[in-house]
Amino acid sequence: MLNVTGELSGDSWGIFTFLCAALCNLPALPALNCSEELGAGQSIQQTYDLTRYLEHQLRTLAGTYLNYLGPPFNEPDFNPPRLARAERVPSATVDLDLWRGLTDNARLAANYRAYSRLLCYLRVLDGQVGTAELRHRLAHFCASLQGLVLSIGGVMSSLGYPLPAGPAGPPAPPGAHAAPNDFLKKMDDFWLLKELQTWLWRSAKDFNRLKKKVPPAVVTLRLEARGF
Amino acid sequence: MNVAVFRSMAPVFPKMASPVRSACCVVLAAVVVVYAQRHSQDSHPQYERVGADVTMKCGSMDWDAAVTWTVNGTDIDESHLNGSYLILKNVNLSQSGQYSCYEGSSWHLKYQTYLRVGTPPKEPVLMCRSNNYPKGFYCSWHLPTPTYIPNTFNISVIHGTKDMVCEKDAMPKNRCHIRYLQLFSTVKYKVTLTVTNALGKNFTTLTFDEFAIVKPDPPESVVAKPVPNNPRRLEVSWQNPSSWPDPESFPLKFFLRYRPLILDTWQHVELSDGTSHTITDAYAGKEYIIQVAAKDNDIGTWSDWSVAVHATPWTEEPKHLTTEAQITETTSASTSSFMAPPTTKICDKGAVVGSGAVAVCWTAGLVMAAYSVLFI
Repeated sequence: MLNVTGELSGDSWGIFTFLCAALCNLPALPALNCSEELGAGQSIQQTYDLTRYLEHQLRTLAGTYLNYLGPPFNEPDFNPPRLARAERVPSATVDLDLWRGLTDNARLAANYRAYSRLLCYLRVLDGQVGTAELRHRLAHFCASLQGLVLSIGGVMSSLGYPLPAGPAGPPAPPGAHAAPNDFLKKMDDFWLLKELQTWLWRSAKDFNRLKKKVPPAVVTLRLEARGF
Repeated sequence: MNVAVFRSMAPVFPKMASPVRSACCVVLAAVVVVYAQRHSQDSHPQYERVGADVTMKCGSMDWDAAVTWTVNGTDIDESHLNGSYLILKNVNLSQSGQYSCYEGSSWHLKYQTYLRVGTPPKEPVLMCRSNNYPKGFYCSWHLPTPTYIPNTFNISVIHGTKDMVCEKDAMPKNRCHIRYLQLFSTVKYKVTLTVTNALGKNFTTLTFDEFAIVKPDPPESVVAKPVPNNPRRLEVSWQNPSSWPDPESFPLKFFLRYRPLILDTWQHVELSDGTSHTITDAYAGKEYIIQVAAKDNDIGTWSDWSVAVHATPWTEEPKHLTTEAQITETTSASTSSFMAPPTTKICDKGAVVGSGAVAVCWTAGLVMAAYSVLFI
C-alpha cells in the first residue's frame, strides 16, 4: 500500500537490499561491496587473476635474481639435474590422470600447502640477499604471495573445506638445512624460483577447473539462504 | 625374390620323378648364383661426395688389361681411363649411374657398380610443438638441402634422467609424437635428432620446458555472415581446433583480425572466451577478410592464423524494375545514386534495436526498482 510519509516497511527493506545486492554483482557497475562475504565463484576468479599477476611479477623478479646469482644460473639453456636436496621444495609435477581426478578440496589444499611452504623459503631468501633493489622486489613479491595464500584460504573456507594444517612443529632454525657450499646454495635458489614459476602455471589451470565447477550462481543461492 | 621362385616351384616337385627333380634343383641353384653375382654390386651402391675424385677398378683385372667401361650402357671414352682403372675427377650429380667394366675381346662383365653421388647431411631443422596440450607433443624435422642419397633419422628424447620413446608417425613421415606422463614438470625436455647417410652425419638438439612449446592449431570452421538490417555488422563464429583435447580445463582465448579488402591495415580484437564475435564497425558495402587465431589462456604462443573468410555486410536490396513500375524508376534511380538517405534511416532503426536497447533496459530497470520501493 502507499505510504505517503515515506516510511518503509520491513518487506520493502528486504526487497531494496536484494535489488542492491543484485545490482552490486552485475559487472557493469563498479564493486559496491553490499555484502561482506563474496561468493566462492568470484573468489576463485580473483585467485586466478592473482596467480596471473604473480606469474608476471615473478618473471621480472627471477630475471633479476638469476643475474644476481650469475652464470650459469642466468643462462637460458641452463638445465641442471635435480639434486636430492631440491626435493624439499614442493613440486607442481603430477601424473596427468591423478591431476584430473583431484577433488576440489584436494586441489585447493595442494595449492595452499605449496604456496605456504614456498613463501617460507622465499622469506628466508629475503633475509640473505645482497642488494637493496632485490630485497625490495622480494619483499613486494612475498607480500603478493601472502595475499595469494590468504585468497586460497578464503576460497576453501567459503566452500566449507578445512584449511590444511601448517608445517608440523616450530620452524627449523635458519642453519638447519643450509647448503654446504655457495654453489649448492645458489642451486637451491634456482630450483625454488623454478618450482614457484611452475606452481603459478599449474594454479592457473587448477583455478580454471575450479571456475567451471563453482559458477557464480553460488552467489544468488547464498543470498536466498539468508531468508529474505 | 629367389625364395619366391622356390616356393612357386614347390607344388610342381612332388609330381616329378626324382632324377628330374634333382636336375631341376641344380639348374635353379646355378641360375640363382649367377643372378646373385651379377647383382651383388647393385645391392651395395657406391656412394661418393660431390666434387670428389673417384677411381674404379675393374674387379680383379690387372692394371694393364684391356677393358671397356660403360655408364648406363653407353661406352666411356678411353681418355677417362688409366690402364684398366676408370678415373672420374670432380664428380657431379649427373654422373650417378650404373658403371660396368667388360673384358676387352670376350665382352665378359668383370665388374659392375651403381655410383650415387651426393653430399653428407647438413644440420637438420627440428621443430617440436604441443598442439594437443596436455596430451603430449610432436617433433618434426627436415633437411635444409637435399643430399641426393638415402638418409636415416634417429630421434632421442631425454627428460631429466629418463629416456622417452618418440613414436614415429606413419604420415607425415618425418614426424614423431610423445605422450606426457607427468604434467607441470620443472625439468626440461632435450630432443636430439641425428641424421646419417653413407657420406657423414649431423645432428641438432632442442631443449625446452613443457610450457614453452604449447601452440594450438588454428580455429576451425570460421564463418562470417552479414547481419540482416545492419549494414555495419558482421557476425563471425568459429570452433576450437579439433586437435585441442580438453577446452574445458584448458580453455583457449582468441584473436580476431579483419580488414576490408581495399585496405592494408588490420583491426584486432582479443576475446578471452566464447567462439563468436560481432564486428560493429565495418564499412558499409565493403568486402571484408577475416581471420582468427587461438592460444591457451595462460601458456605458450598464438596459433597460426585460420583460413581467411570473406564477407560483406548487409546492404539494402535495390527495388526490382518492372514495366509497370517505370514511373517509380525515375524516382528510385535518383535516391539509389546516393547511399546516404536510405542507410541513415536504417542506421537509426538499427541503433535502437542494437546498442540503445541496453541503455533503455537499464533505465527502465532502475525506474521500476525505484517505483517498487516507494509504492509497495
